[in-house]
Amino acid sequence: MVRERMVRVRARGMAVAPLAAAVALLALALALAGASGCGGDSLPDTTTSSVAGRSISRIGIVAPEEANDFGWNQEGADAARRLADSLGVEIEVADGAGYDDPGPVLRQLADDGSDLLIAWASGYNVVARQTAGELDVPVIVIGAFEEGLAPGLSQDLETRAQEGAYLAGFLAARMTKTGTLGIVMSADDENWVKMAGGFVAGARAAEPATKLLLAQVGQAGYADAAGGKRVTEGVIAAGADIVFGMGDGSSFGMIQAVETATPPAGADKLWFIDVIGDKTSLDKKGVYLTSVWWDYQPLFERAAKALEEGTFGTQVYYLDLAGDGLKLLQTPHVPEDLWKEIEDVKADIIDGTVEVPVTESKTEVEALIGG
Amino acid sequence: MNGGGASLSVPVLTALVAGAVIAGIPLLLAALGEMVSERAGVLNIGLEGMMLTGAFTGFAATLHWGSPWAGFAAAAAAGLAFGAVMALLCVGLNLDQVVVGIALLVLAQGATSVLHRAEYGASYPRLDAVPGLEIPLIAKVPVIGAALFSQPLVVYLAIALAAAVGWLLRATSLGLELKAAGEEPEALDAAGVSVVATRVFGVLVAGTCAGLGGGFLSIVAAGVFVPFMTNGTGFIAIVIAMLSRGRPLWVVILALGFGIALSLATALQLVGVSVPIDLLNALPFVAVLVALFLFGRGKALPGALGRPFVRGART
Repeated sequence: MVRERMVRVRARGMAVAPLAAAVALLALALALAGASGCGGDSLPDTTTSSVAGRSISRIGIVAPEEANDFGWNQEGADAARRLADSLGVEIEVADGAGYDDPGPVLRQLADDGSDLLIAWASGYNVVARQTAGELDVPVIVIGAFEEGLAPGLSQDLETRAQEGAYLAGFLAARMTKTGTLGIVMSADDENWVKMAGGFVAGARAAEPATKLLLAQVGQAGYADAAGGKRVTEGVIAAGADIVFGMGDGSSFGMIQAVETATPPAGADKLWFIDVIGDKTSLDKKGVYLTSVWWDYQPLFERAAKALEEGTFGTQVYYLDLAGDGLKLLQTPHVPEDLWKEIEDVKADIIDGTVEVPVTESKTEVEALIGG
Repeated sequence: MNGGGASLSVPVLTALVAGAVIAGIPLLLAALGEMVSERAGVLNIGLEGMMLTGAFTGFAATLHWGSPWAGFAAAAAAGLAFGAVMALLCVGLNLDQVVVGIALLVLAQGATSVLHRAEYGASYPRLDAVPGLEIPLIAKVPVIGAALFSQPLVVYLAIALAAAVGWLLRATSLGLELKAAGEEPEALDAAGVSVVATRVFGVLVAGTCAGLGGGFLSIVAAGVFVPFMTNGTGFIAIVIAMLSRGRPLWVVILALGFGIALSLATALQLVGVSVPIDLLNALPFVAVLVALFLFGRGKALPGALGRPFVRGART
C-alpha cells in the first residue's frame, strides 16, 4: 500500500509540474549517491520489481527457541523441512538462537550453502533484510508487512489468524455446557489479541448469549507455565468449561489446569483449545478439543515458487483460511455434524459472506466482549 | 446479549486466594535463602539459575519416582550442588560474585533446555496434582478454609521454614556469625570464627532454598517443566530479600503480597476491569519502598555484601 501510494504521488507530480519533476530527479540522484556512500548498511531497495529467478539448493532457518515446543518454533522448522522434502533439497535448522542479533547465524547458514534463508522471529526482520542484502541471499521474514518486501531478496509473511480463531469460537460456543468460555493469553501479543477477537466474534455468531471471560497472564509470560495454570484455574472457577489458550510454553500450564481442575457447575468435563501447533500426541487425558493450526508450508512453497519465477518479495503473503495455511484441527472430540457446520462457516469466511473483525489491542477485545 | 465479566463467587475467590499462596511460595523459599546468603555477605545473582535447575531436577525426579517428596529432595540437592559451585568460586576463590552468578544462570538455562529437549521434548509429560492436606475444621470455612488450609504439606513447611530462619538469625550464635560475616568479616575472623565456612554455609542455604523454590514451581505450581519457566522469579526473590533487610517476616509478607497482586490482576480481569497487569505486580514493592522511606531509612544492606574476604587484607 505504501509503495503504491508513493508511486501515485510521484506520477502526478511529473504530470503537472516539470520543474518539480526536475527537482525531484535531482533529489533522487542525490539520494542514490548518498545511499551508495552508505555501503552495505542500508536496507535493500524495495522499489524495483523485476528480478531474475533463482533456484534453491539448500534452505536455512533460524528460530529463536528450541524447535520442539509444539508451537511457533516447531511449526516453522517442520514447515521448512516439508518444503525441503518437496523440493528435494537439504535443510539446516538453527533453533534456540535467542532473540538478539540473528546476523551471525544467518551468515553461517549462508556460508554452509543455504540459498534461501528463513528468519523465524518478527524481531529478526531488520537485521535479516540487511544480511540478505549484504550476502545477496534471499530471506523470508515475518511481521514487517510492506517494509519486509525487497524484490528478489526479502519476502514478508503475515497472518490472518483471527479467521481460524473465529471457527474455534464458533465450535466452542456450540459445545459449551455452561455457556461460558475462557480466553487466556500469556502475553500482550499482537497475534494473541487478533485471535482473541476472532474467537469472541465466532462464539457470538454461534450463540449470541455466550459469556466470555478474558484473562492475561503477564506482559510477556510466554514461558510462565505456573502463571498459565493459575490464571486458567481462575477462569475455570468462574464458570468456563472450554478454555482457548494462547501461550507458547505457558500453554502447557494451561493444559495442566484443564486436566486437573474440577469442572464448574453445569459441566462434567473441561476442554482446551490450542493455537499454532498440534499437541494431540500429548493429550493423555482427552481434553484437547482442537487447535487453530498455523501451517506455513503453503506460504513457504509459494515463496519458493516466486523465487524461481522472479516475483519473490513483491507482495505480502498472508496465512489465512483461503490459502489453506490456517486450519482448525479436526479431532475425534468434535461431532461430525458440527464439523460440517464449521466447514460451512469456513467457506463463508473465504468467500467474504462472513467478515471477521480484527482487534489490535486487549481493550478492543474487551469492548467486543462487552457487546 | 450477555457480556463478559464474572461475579466473584465462592469458587472464584477460593481459586484466587489459593492461587496467590501457590504463586508466593517459590518466591518465599528462594528469598529466604538469598536473605541468609546476603546476611553472610554473598550476593547470589545466580538465584534464578538455581531455581531453574531445581525446577528441572524436581520435575524429573517426581516423574521418575512418582513421589513429589522425591522431587523436592532432588530439587534441594540440585540447588545445593549449584550453591557449592558458587561457594567454591566466590568464597573459596574470591571470584566476582556478580560475574559468577550470571555465568551460573546462563549455564542453568542452557543445561536445563538441552536436557529437557533430550528427555521430554517429544512428550512434554505432566504431573498429577499434589494432594492438599486438610486442616480439620478450619478447612471447611468458605474461601479461606479451602484456599489456605487445604494446601499441600510443603506449603506449611515453607512458612515454618521462614520461622526457623528467623529463629536462626535472631537466637543462635550461628545467626550472629552470619551477620558478622556480612557486616564485619574481619571482626568475625579476629574472634576465631571461620569467615569462609560461615559464608559457605550461607551460600549453600541459598542454593538449597532456591532449588526447593524451583521444585515447588514445577511440581506444585505448574505440574510441568518448560524451559525458562522461572520467568524472572529468581530476580524478584533477590529484590524481596534486599527489601526485607534480614527479617523473614517481611519475606513472607512480600512474597505472599506478590502472589496476592498476581491474583488481584486475574480477579480484576475476570470481573471485567481493565488494568495494566505489571502495575498491579509492582504494588507490593511500591508499598515496601514507601514503608522503608517512612519508617526505616537506616542502613539497608550488610556492609561487606559482595566484598570478598581476604584474611589480613586492609579494607
